[in-house]
Amino acid sequence: MTLDWPTLLPLIFAGLMGLAILIYVILDGFDLGIGILFAVAEDGEQDTMIAAIGPFWDANETWLVLAVGLLLVAFPLAHGTILTALYIPVFLLLVGLILRGVAFDFRAKVPAGRKHRWNRIFFLGSVIASLAQGYMLGIYVLGLDVGHGGMAFGALVALCLAAAYAAMGAAWVIYKTEGELQKKAVLWLRRALVLTALGMVAVSLATPLASPRIFDKWFVWPAMLYLSPLPVLSAVLFAWLWRQTFHLPKPNDRHALTPFLTLAAIFTLGFAGLAWSFYPFVVPDRLTIWQAASAPESLAIILAGTVVVLPIIIFYSFYAYRVFGGKATDLTYD
Amino acid sequence: MDPLILSRIQFGANISFHILFPAITIALGWMLLFFKLRYNATGDTAWMRAYFTWVKVFALSFAMGVVSGVTMSFQFGTNWPGYMETVGNIAGPLLAYEILTAFFLEAAFLGIMLFGFRRVSNRIHTLATVLVAGGTTLSAFWIIALNSWMQTPVGFEMRDGVAHATDWWAIVFNPSMPYRLVHMLLASGLTVSFLIAGLSALRYLYGDRSESMWKALRTGVFTAAILIPIQIFAGDQHGLNTLEHQPQKIAAMEANWNTGPNVPLVLLALPDEAARENKFELTIPDGASLILRHSASGVVPGLNDYAGNHPPVFPVFWAFRIMVGTGVLMLVVSWSAAFFLKRRHSLPRPLALVMVPMALSGWLATLAGWYTTEIGRQPWLVTGVLKTVDAVGPVAGSQVALSLAIYLILYALLLIAYLGVLVYLALKAAKDGDASPLPGVLDAPLSQPAAK
Repeated sequence: MTLDWPTLLPLIFAGLMGLAILIYVILDGFDLGIGILFAVAEDGEQDTMIAAIGPFWDANETWLVLAVGLLLVAFPLAHGTILTALYIPVFLLLVGLILRGVAFDFRAKVPAGRKHRWNRIFFLGSVIASLAQGYMLGIYVLGLDVGHGGMAFGALVALCLAAAYAAMGAAWVIYKTEGELQKKAVLWLRRALVLTALGMVAVSLATPLASPRIFDKWFVWPAMLYLSPLPVLSAVLFAWLWRQTFHLPKPNDRHALTPFLTLAAIFTLGFAGLAWSFYPFVVPDRLTIWQAASAPESLAIILAGTVVVLPIIIFYSFYAYRVFGGKATDLTYD
Repeated sequence: MDPLILSRIQFGANISFHILFPAITIALGWMLLFFKLRYNATGDTAWMRAYFTWVKVFALSFAMGVVSGVTMSFQFGTNWPGYMETVGNIAGPLLAYEILTAFFLEAAFLGIMLFGFRRVSNRIHTLATVLVAGGTTLSAFWIIALNSWMQTPVGFEMRDGVAHATDWWAIVFNPSMPYRLVHMLLASGLTVSFLIAGLSALRYLYGDRSESMWKALRTGVFTAAILIPIQIFAGDQHGLNTLEHQPQKIAAMEANWNTGPNVPLVLLALPDEAARENKFELTIPDGASLILRHSASGVVPGLNDYAGNHPPVFPVFWAFRIMVGTGVLMLVVSWSAAFFLKRRHSLPRPLALVMVPMALSGWLATLAGWYTTEIGRQPWLVTGVLKTVDAVGPVAGSQVALSLAIYLILYALLLIAYLGVLVYLALKAAKDGDASPLPGVLDAPLSQPAAK
C-alpha cells in the first residue's frame, strides 16, 4: 500500500466517520437512555431528567447528521447500498427520532394536562430509535443479510443496545442529579449493566457463528494477542463499574461522573473492536472504503474545512456543556 | 405501486414539511436578536418579554426543523441513491460544509440561547443569539447553493457518468444562486413578520393591550410592510434570471404554448397538457412580452420548443399564481396595518381579524414558490445532468407506500400540535400581559451571575 492522497483520504474519512458515530453513540446514547428510563421514573423525576439533557440534545443529534453526512459525501456508493437495504429500520429510526425530538419541546409548552401524553411519546420515540439503531447494527454486522437468522441476530443486538443506552442514561442521571433520584439511578444503572452484559456475551458468541469472516479476523495468531486487551479491558471495566454501583453515591458526590466516563470507555473499546471487524470494508464483504469513496479532489476540499472546523466545534461543544455543568436545575427560558 | 412516484411524493411531503420550520427559524433568529438589542439599549423589560415568548416558538420550530432535516439526509440514500452516485462529488462537500459550519453552530449555542439567560453574562447570551441567527442563515446559504446548482449547474465536468468539480467558486455562486438566496431570505423574513403580526393580532383580539404585545405587533407589521415591496422586486429579478437559464420553466409558469412575439399575460386558465392549449383563459394582451422582455413585440419562449423536456404545466402555472396572489394580499394587509399603527396608533378589529389567518400566509407563499421552482425543474433532478427517474432507488413500492403513509399521518398530527401550541402560547401571553414574572430580568437587569 503506497501512501498517496487517493489512498489516504478514504482512510482519513473512514476514521472521521467512525469518530462521528462514536461521539454520537456516547452523547445521544445518554439522552436516548434517559428517554428509555422514563418508563420507570415518576412525574417530578421526569422533569429533572429532561432538565439534565435539555440544553444538549440538539447538539448531540447533530453528530448523527454529521456521521450520515460523511457517509453520504465521502462514500456515496455505500450510502445508497446500506440505506436502501435497511429501508424499514431506517424509517423506524427516523420516526423514533422525530417523535422524541418534538416531544421534548412539546411537553414543556403544552397545557399541563397534556404533558403526560408527550412524556409517553418521548419514551416511545426513544425506545423505537434505540431498537432501530441496534437492529441496523446487527444487520450491518452480518453484511446486510435480512434472512430469518439475520433478523433474530438484529433483534438481539437491538435489545443489547437499548440496555446499554439505558445504562448510559442512568450514569448521566447519577452525574446530573442528587438525593433520591440519584440513588434510584444507581439501581437503574446496576440492572441495565446486567442486561447489557448478558446481551454483549450473547452477541459476542453469536457473531463468529453468524459471520465466519469476522471469526477469521479475530481468532488467528498473532492478531488474537494484539486484540486481547479489547475484550479483557472491557470485561474488567464492566465488573469494576458493577461493583461501584454498590458504593455510589459517595460522600460529597465524589466520582459522580465516573460511571458515565467508564461506560464511554467501554463503548469506545467495543467500537474499536467493531472497526477492526469491518476494516477495510464499508459495506461488509462488498465495498471497501476505497471502492466506495468520492473523488479525491472532493474529499480534499471537505477535509480542508473539517480540519479547521472540527476542533472549533469540539471546543464550543465543551463550552456549552460547561455552561450547563453541575447538577440539573429546572429549565427556564428566562 | 410505482416506487418513483411514491418516492417523489414522499420526498415532496418531507421537504414541504421541513421548509416550514427553517422558513421560520432563519428570520426569527434575527428578530430575536432585534428584541434582545432593543432590550440591551433601552432596559425595557417588555422587549425581553417579547423575546421569551418568541424564543419558545424558535425552540419548537428548531426541533421540528432538526428532526425533519435528519429525515431528509437519510432519504437521499434510502430513496435517491442515484443522486449521490452521480453528483455526490459536488453535493457532498456543500452538504458537509452546511453541517460543519452552520448546523453545529446553531445546535450548540441554541442551549445557551434558550436556557442560559441566568447562567451566562448578558453579553454572552446576546452573542449566543447572534451565533444561532448567523448559523441558521449560513445553513440556508449552503442549502440554497446546492439547490441552485441543481437548477443551473456549472463548474463541473462529467467523467464516466459522474460529475467532477472543476471550479468550486462557480459551483457555489452559480447563476441562479444569489437570486434564489435573496428571495428565500426575504421569504423567511415575511413568514416571520406575518406570524408575529398575526399572533399578536390574536392577542389583541383577546383584549391584550400589554406593552410586549404592541412591541411585537409593530415589529411584525413594519417589517412586513418594508420587506414585501423588496420581495416583489427580488422575485421579478429572479424570474428574469430563470428566463435566461431555465426558459422552459418560465414557459410553464406562464402557460405559454408557442414561442413568439406579442405574448399575452395569462392571468387565469386551465392548462391542458394533452391538447397543448389553455382552457378558459383570462389574458392581458402583450402582457408576458412586456413583463419578461420590456417590449410588446418581445419574443417569449414557448413550450413547443421543449416538447417532452419541460415540466408539467398545470401545477407550475397554479403554484406560481398562488405565490403571487398571496404576495399581493401580503402587500395590501401589511400596508393597511402599518398605516393604522403609524397614523392612528390603533388596529381596527376587522383588520386584526384578517391578520390572524394571514399569520400563515408566509408558509403558503413559500410552499407555492418552492413548488413552482422544484416542479419547474422536472423532468430533471439536476438540469441537463440527471433525470429524476434515473436517481430512484431499488426499494419495493410497497415499502415506500408504507413509509409514506406513516410520514403523512405523523406530519399531519405534528402540524396540528404545532399550530395548537402557537395559539396556546399566544393566548397564554395575552393572559399574562405585562404581569408574568421574569425573575432573571427583574433581579439583575444587565448582568446575570453564572448559576452554580
